[in-house]
Amino acid sequence: MTLILESGYAFWNPIILIIAFAVVMVVVYFFRRRGQKKYKKDTAQTQIFLCGEEVPEAGQRHIRVGNIYWGFFETLKEYYSQVLRPHTGIINDYVLWFVAVTAISAIILLIAG
Amino acid sequence: MDTLITHSSILIIAIPLVTAFLIPLVGMASKKARNALVVVSLIFVAFLVFALARDISINGIHIYTLGATSPDLTIPTGFMVPVRIILEVDGMSILMGIIWSIVSLAAAIFSFSHIASETGQNRFYTLLLLMVTGGFGMMFTGDLFNLFVFLEIASISGAALIAFRTRSADTQEGGFKYIVVSAIASLMVLFAIGLLYAQYNSLNIGALAQVIQYTTPDKIALALLLIAFTMKAGMVPLHLWFPDAYSVAPASITGMLVITSHACMYAAFRVCFTLYGGMLDAPVVGWILIVFGLLSMFVGVTMAVFQKDVMRFMSYHAISQLGYMWVGVGVGLAVLGNPALLATYGRDAISGGIFHILNHAMYKPLLFFTGGALFYCTGTRDLTKMGGLAHKMKWTTILYIIGTLSISGIPPLNGFSSKILIYESVYQFHPILTITGIIVSILTLASFTKAFHSAFMGAELPEYKEVKEVPRSMIIAMVILAAGIIFITLFPALIVNWIINPAADALIKQGAYINAVTGATP
Repeated sequence: MTLILESGYAFWNPIILIIAFAVVMVVVYFFRRRGQKKYKKDTAQTQIFLCGEEVPEAGQRHIRVGNIYWGFFETLKEYYSQVLRPHTGIINDYVLWFVAVTAISAIILLIAG
Repeated sequence: MDTLITHSSILIIAIPLVTAFLIPLVGMASKKARNALVVVSLIFVAFLVFALARDISINGIHIYTLGATSPDLTIPTGFMVPVRIILEVDGMSILMGIIWSIVSLAAAIFSFSHIASETGQNRFYTLLLLMVTGGFGMMFTGDLFNLFVFLEIASISGAALIAFRTRSADTQEGGFKYIVVSAIASLMVLFAIGLLYAQYNSLNIGALAQVIQYTTPDKIALALLLIAFTMKAGMVPLHLWFPDAYSVAPASITGMLVITSHACMYAAFRVCFTLYGGMLDAPVVGWILIVFGLLSMFVGVTMAVFQKDVMRFMSYHAISQLGYMWVGVGVGLAVLGNPALLATYGRDAISGGIFHILNHAMYKPLLFFTGGALFYCTGTRDLTKMGGLAHKMKWTTILYIIGTLSISGIPPLNGFSSKILIYESVYQFHPILTITGIIVSILTLASFTKAFHSAFMGAELPEYKEVKEVPRSMIIAMVILAAGIIFITLFPALIVNWIINPAADALIKQGAYINAVTGATP
């Protein structure tokens, strides 16, 4: 069967998932259609409400890439300090890594392989 | 048609080579004629590749001996070993050829608008076609020395293309790093070839595989070949040059460079499975690939989350995704000597790794192209300066989402199909491999969501009020790759049965490769 990918332990048929996705979309569309019909475009209804405060300009309220996942980087601070260390940007260091890894691999192959 | 198929392997290499040297002449007369010549030649090459693939699926391995009275006359009368240049195209080589033909065509089309404002476009397309020649040569050659020659052609043209935008310093630095790394890797490959030639008086892969003894010099040659190719493929910890070079090239070239990394990975697989094959201590070499693969997956993705430059971000993800392929094929290699384990999960692991090469070759260049589209419209690669671009770049946004879902392995996209094959098979070898793979997939999705939010989401920013969607040729190139993703998404089993499993079998069945050249199994 050309539509079913068998991995030896299970199977995968993307068509089933696509049909399921289409059914969910129809259900979502059904609920959306039952929503408020008095919605008016380009009125106060579409403006951001921030507890009555002044809404910042678009550029100021956009969360930039540097502020996303701050907690993740803070938690893994030690890991990043270690993993960033070899990324010196100096080609001599890159070649040293090549020499070291080649030597280690050759030793492993000579002894164990 | 039969004559065309007979000579197709050499034509696939020769057509881009000849066209490359015609480009400066045609380009002087007309820019449109030059662009048309590039596209027509690449479309014809793609046609030949698909015709050859069909022929291989029916008749088996394709052999082409240069200079012989008949293309299948591999050993001249009076000789014991093949001495001529031989092209040998099996299931694995043709899969790589299909990938290369699609991506190089998409990259050329993308370039028409992407580099339209640059000077020296004739040189650009000449180098692009030389790179195509080098790539096909690496994939189709059955000869170690020619592998080195084609590696050099691809590397030198690649370095020149990385440094193509001469007005900025980072491109020159990237090009310099790429050529230094490539030169060192190529020299190590040449040294290893010398070690093998000195012992066995042959350069043909099939003929060498028949007589190789796995002596101490052979082991040193293996280490040199393996590490040189893995460095060129960007495996951690030899990946350090990879983001420096790939992030500064024109996006179309970065898409192609990803496939040259695949070609180096293919060369490493060819060395392990076909050249050394049964003589190899497969578990040791398999575990070396697995460990480096795991490192690539994890370090690649965690470094990607950290990036603020959209192209560096994509480059680290390429390293991470390459790790999946190393792990999948590494597991298959580790159990190569055990027929029971190979049949239980080893072949599925190899198929999963190879299937991931095909999927990666569709979504990664697509993502690089979307990164290039962002750079084209905003003039920056810095994600901190972007935002709200979905309002202006609807096509790019949709295509980025397709690429993101695919790379993250979200069902039903094609990335999921290959990842599930890898996860289920490598779990039997060691559960930690699957667990790491799933964690890396989650981090991949998290980091692409972060980049998506930064570049595309949010209110329209005042500095990008005048931004428009990228030109049609760039969208067409991205749609070609997205169409590939959708086709594989819908018919994964068809792809696996038609092209992935034969490619995995081509690696596993060393005897068939040797027999095609020497006429005898070892």
